Amino acid sequence: MSWRNELLAVWAVTLRNALMGARNVFFFFELLFWPIVGVLSIGLMSRFLELTAAQASFVLVGTIALSVVNVCQLEVAYAVLLDVWSKSLKHQFLAPIGIRHLTLGSWIVGMVRSLAVFVLLAALGRWAFGFRVLQPGWLPLATFLLGCFLTAWVVGVAVCALITLFGNRAEAFAWASVNLVLVLAGIYYPISVLPDAIAVVARAVPLTYFLDAYRAHYGFESEFRAPIATGLALSALYAALAHWAFLAAIQRARRTGLLLKMSE
Amino acid sequence: MLAIDAQDVEKTFRSGWPRRRETAALRGVSLTVARGAIVGVLGPNGAGKTTLLSILATLLTPDRGRVTVLGHDVVREAGALRRRLNMVSGRPSFLWSLRVGEIIAFYGRLYGVSGNALRRRVDSLIELCELVPYRRIPYSDLSTGLKQRVALAKALVNEPELLFLDEPTLGLDPDVAARVRTHIARLRREQGITIVLTTHYMREADELCDEIAFIKAGRILARGTSGELKRQIRLGEVIALKLDPARVPWLAESPGVLRCVEVDGWVECTVDEAENRLPELLRALHAKGIVIRNVQVREPELEEVFVELAK
Repeated sequence: MSWRNELLAVWAVTLRNALMGARNVFFFFELLFWPIVGVLSIGLMSRFLELTAAQASFVLVGTIALSVVNVCQLEVAYAVLLDVWSKSLKHQFLAPIGIRHLTLGSWIVGMVRSLAVFVLLAALGRWAFGFRVLQPGWLPLATFLLGCFLTAWVVGVAVCALITLFGNRAEAFAWASVNLVLVLAGIYYPISVLPDAIAVVARAVPLTYFLDAYRAHYGFESEFRAPIATGLALSALYAALAHWAFLAAIQRARRTGLLLKMSE
Repeated sequence: MLAIDAQDVEKTFRSGWPRRRETAALRGVSLTVARGAIVGVLGPNGAGKTTLLSILATLLTPDRGRVTVLGHDVVREAGALRRRLNMVSGRPSFLWSLRVGEIIAFYGRLYGVSGNALRRRVDSLIELCELVPYRRIPYSDLSTGLKQRVALAKALVNEPELLFLDEPTLGLDPDVAARVRTHIARLRREQGITIVLTTHYMREADELCDEIAFIKAGRILARGTSGELKRQIRLGEVIALKLDPARVPWLAESPGVLRCVEVDGWVECTVDEAENRLPELLRALHAKGIVIRNVQVREPELEEVFVELAK
């Protein structure tokens, strides 16, 4: 396949997801409602508990990260979910499309949408709770967002693989399992407070390291020696694994007939 | 030159846990299709028609057998093959919020068409499939017939050399179905596309197909032109007579007559060979003083072949 065709296929998916998102009122709801509710409730709780400004920043960073990752990973999962819901999966896989086109195209839309959510939540955090996302500077912020986007990509592709492997009945299980892993990643607390067995899981989540690196700029000592490098290395490893799992799931679905069943 | 060369294709579906159920969908199917031909795959529900088409279209991998489509192995060279074929299914479904033009354009981009070429392709397909007034209508707001036409437009977006039509007129009004059949015939005539179609409508198969393969329980039981199939299973020919008096019970006992039935005031006698039996029957009727008001000779309908083979 030529580079032109590669880019065109990615663009086709990007445009499709953007159009679907722009026309669905529920997509808009999930884009704004839950993230705003999250920041307001956590921010107000931190005020009630009389947390210091640094402590409030700690939990708000986690809340915003969770929203950014959730919105972006949901969009990546739409690479398959939109076609599963509309029963058009077989048309998609009848075309010369690879999972790289599907996931990259969806990820681009996911990054744009979650960046919009981030800007909104950052503005809300500043206005309501005096929280400054730019306090660490542009580069740490960009690295933090990159970490969120990479984690979202891994999670979204993992959801795609699970759904393609077990059918749309596995949808709820897929969401629950990946969100559980995210919550373990020190969203609201340092992972040092977790029981040892759970802390091992948290240490395996890339987002843990990006949160750690970003929070260090708010006065919290880093728990890891090279958090950004570790986060990037883990992201690369999981991205490769998730891609392979999704590819294997598609091949299995072609073998078992699940690809056709999900289109009926 | 062959568009499809499938030999001894087997496919078994496994389901259930912990007790696994196995369903043999294809049990050694062999099928060859010449380039530019329209071949119909007929058979009762669950016969394996859709499974066969799905394997040929790379949506399903075979368990055993060798399948070459347009010179490509369907498993090892599926990527290259997908650029050259397309498919329409009986109950098409696309993303609900996308408009007609956007759906066709989306798939066009996946096949590497862009810019002005894409705009021209989308315009011409919308015109060909009579979708001009519906171009900006979301897919979810379309009627069944219009959805089928969108599916046909989408299937032509890559100018395929081979087109699979899985029940293309299922659930359509007769006039819409007739228009879809006209499109299909025109595609072969004007563009030389090879077409493999499955259908439950015998008239459709009779009208469109150069050849018909009859599949049942995962095996191809018979294959040939519509006429060859009718001769192959020896259904005989039908001599329809309008007589006065209308009822002549002894006709069924005449030599060479296989059976006689009364249909709408006609006596339809199925005979082994109409050419020899017709003069004999006419002479016998005349000798008994029975008035012959009308006579027609016809081959059995393809539907009768289907019923016979499906038994």
